[in-house]
Amino acid sequence: MTIADQAPVAPVVDEEEAARARKDRIHRVAKWTLPSLVMVLSVLAWHLYVTLNEVPHYILPGPLVVAQSIFDDWGLLWPAMLTTTRLTVLALIFAIIGGVALAVAFTQSKWAEMSFFPYAVILQVTPVIAIAPLLQIYMDSAFGAALACAWIVAFFPILSNTTIGLKSADHNLEDLFTIYGASRWQRLRYLAAPSALPFFLGGLKIAGGLALIGAVVAEFVIGRAGTGLGLASTLLEASYRFNFGRLYAALILISGMGVVIFAITSLISHLALRKWHESAMMRER
Amino acid sequence: MTQAPGVHIKGSAGFVAVSLFRNLDVTVGAGEWTCLLGVSGVGKSTILRLIAGLETGAVFDGSIETSDGASLDGRVAYMAQQDLLLPWATVLENVCLGARLRGERVDHARAKALIEDVGLTAHVAKKPHALSGGQRQRAALARTLMEGGQVILLDEPFSALDARTRADMQELAFRLLGGRTVLLVTHDPAEAARLGHRIVIMTEAGVATVAPPALAPPRPLDDAGYLAAQAALLQRLRVPA
Repeated sequence: MTIADQAPVAPVVDEEEAARARKDRIHRVAKWTLPSLVMVLSVLAWHLYVTLNEVPHYILPGPLVVAQSIFDDWGLLWPAMLTTTRLTVLALIFAIIGGVALAVAFTQSKWAEMSFFPYAVILQVTPVIAIAPLLQIYMDSAFGAALACAWIVAFFPILSNTTIGLKSADHNLEDLFTIYGASRWQRLRYLAAPSALPFFLGGLKIAGGLALIGAVVAEFVIGRAGTGLGLASTLLEASYRFNFGRLYAALILISGMGVVIFAITSLISHLALRKWHESAMMRER
Repeated sequence: MTQAPGVHIKGSAGFVAVSLFRNLDVTVGAGEWTCLLGVSGVGKSTILRLIAGLETGAVFDGSIETSDGASLDGRVAYMAQQDLLLPWATVLENVCLGARLRGERVDHARAKALIEDVGLTAHVAKKPHALSGGQRQRAALARTLMEGGQVILLDEPFSALDARTRADMQELAFRLLGGRTVLLVTHDPAEAARLGHRIVIMTEAGVATVAPPALAPPRPLDDAGYLAAQAALLQRLRVPA
């Protein structure tokens, strides 16, 4: 009788459909195997290039040297990674709090938006690397200064996306809420906030990556003064010592962190939206 | 339920330079279906929005009165062409939305009974995207019923449905909304001829009341009076008197 009633698995009836099902299966497997294969081949090529050309390890260490470095320097790399992770995650959390709070203020009051939005933009467009040395001077704690840097970079996409999201509620639903006599708070809670969720989550995905970039930049600038922060400081220090094995090890760990952050934010987004939002729903094609 | 009031709206409305309608005088009979028929852009929805107390963008100079003299605030329910269901909420949550917004204790038993009336019991926990267009409108109807408003404003709620679903929905809505004052805005002469106790036609030439077919609504689809009225209404839409 309805679309929903017909949804349960239709039996495969003809060859065309069987072919499509087969193609889908192949796609699912290839999605994982192809990138893995590319990775294995690249590492192999890297290894062969380094060994066949006898490239000195202070120019390009081979994958084995890097792996050895990760293993040997784990005692150094692990705490550094924890510091960078803490920096990134805290910056992201504060970016969420600040971005969402400011976005709500902007949508509730035109005056607030007019007064403060230009400064949010200025904060965003000023390269953080230019602000970092100042923060280092004015803030006692190197960690605090680095955190502020990472926060500045991460908060804008959340602010910008959430603001658009809060304003994008269907105007017909706005009318419905007017007829129901909904209060300002109820509009925000039951209409604007859910409408803004997909936008916020889009911003969160970007902000997650940016928080890491902000943390790394901050460590480069602030960690240089011998305050020894996280992975980026370790990387920088390794480059001064021509310890390229450690440098590559730190680099790989940083990009690994980026991938994990992206995966986590994507998962959160998927779980929050899969039941109702077009962007995350499975459709039969 | 207390007796549903009639609504009388008269006056003129327009934008700064353009007049939308002039000297309007429409009575929506108490406990009846009044169909407001007109082509797109003639200002039908503006009338409905004025009664609902919604922003119209137009300047209205006139009055809206009820037959019992009381205000319409809180007594109006609204159904539009779009189902207006919250996409993130289930059918049950959508039906209970009004009560929740008013901070009342939600009567789940009543909500479920209404959902059963519109034939959606099997879909009570589904989100709108999992429903067909007709089912979504039925969920919207259940929500409208849940509101208990005595004045029901319908803004082309059936126009996006296929012919069979539309005919079914018209009958279902007519049955379930019995006893309430209904103003149905439509551009479909067949719908007006089928459902209206009163038919008001709105064209560029002005607003006129048309005598409805003899049979009581909802009229059978093969009723000669209904078919003749439908043809006459279409004729008047095409060639405004």
